[in-house]
Amino acid sequence: MNTTAPQDLQISTPTDTTIVLTRTFNAPRRLVWEAMFTPDRMRRWMQPPPGWTLTTCECDARVGGKLSVAWKSDEANPAMTLRGEFTEVALYEHAVHTETMAMGSGQTVGSLVEKHQFADQGAATAMSITQTYDSKEDRDGALASGMDQGMEACYQSLDALLGERSQGNAAVNAR
Amino acid sequence: MVLDRSPRLDLVFHALAHPARRAIIRQLSGGERNLSALAAPLRMTFPAATKHVRVLEHAKLVRRRVEGRQHFCRLEAAPLKEATLWTESFRQHWEARFEALDSLLDEMKSEERARARRT
Repeated sequence: MNTTAPQDLQISTPTDTTIVLTRTFNAPRRLVWEAMFTPDRMRRWMQPPPGWTLTTCECDARVGGKLSVAWKSDEANPAMTLRGEFTEVALYEHAVHTETMAMGSGQTVGSLVEKHQFADQGAATAMSITQTYDSKEDRDGALASGMDQGMEACYQSLDALLGERSQGNAAVNAR
Repeated sequence: MVLDRSPRLDLVFHALAHPARRAIIRQLSGGERNLSALAAPLRMTFPAATKHVRVLEHAKLVRRRVEGRQHFCRLEAAPLKEATLWTESFRQHWEARFEALDSLLDEMKSEERARARRT
């Protein structure tokens, strides 16, 4: 049975360089932590963009521990890598790690510091992820990432709707 | 600032949900038209066409300018490019991840219960 806990994802931008994501999960803190930072579990939710495959997924959530994720695509291996290091860890409570994303060519596309916080909410867990970017431009770039796909999806649905024009006109003419 | 579920997008889809309004958009994709020219092929009265144009305007899909007694309409691609929408895919990306996390957590809870029963 679902809890009535507010599960909706909240996204806010409290400062020019941050994005805060907050979401409640219907599980205790320990399990949410495990799901977030255990490689075998991470593979389940780190969904790659269509056509990409996750090739590397390493995560050692201890101070000084490394984070390393790589994806390959049909064109490139790796297509993208994500590397970071844990700088602050309080088990089941909070973890801070750096994160640098690079394209297959090695070109860095952005770096940030990510802080995960876990708080009990009855039997559920409220998790917040605070991403801090180097600049407002980087932050805005991250918010807009995937916009192309989003845009494409919008245009496609617009195309699909417009494609119904023969039916549409028939309906209008029937009036 | 809190980026809520995009109400703008709801307006856009609501606006596109009517065949007459899709027909208007299709006509406008050929360029600016005046309102009477839009109404004619739809076999609509002028007020009925105006009503639909207002819905499209509200969703910011169409912009209207008045010149004397003429009302000119043109397509506005902006809502498909603009602010509220550009964060939508960021949200969808994380929502998808977190939904996967939800089912993973359900499985992990069942695993734990199964383990607890065995011990």
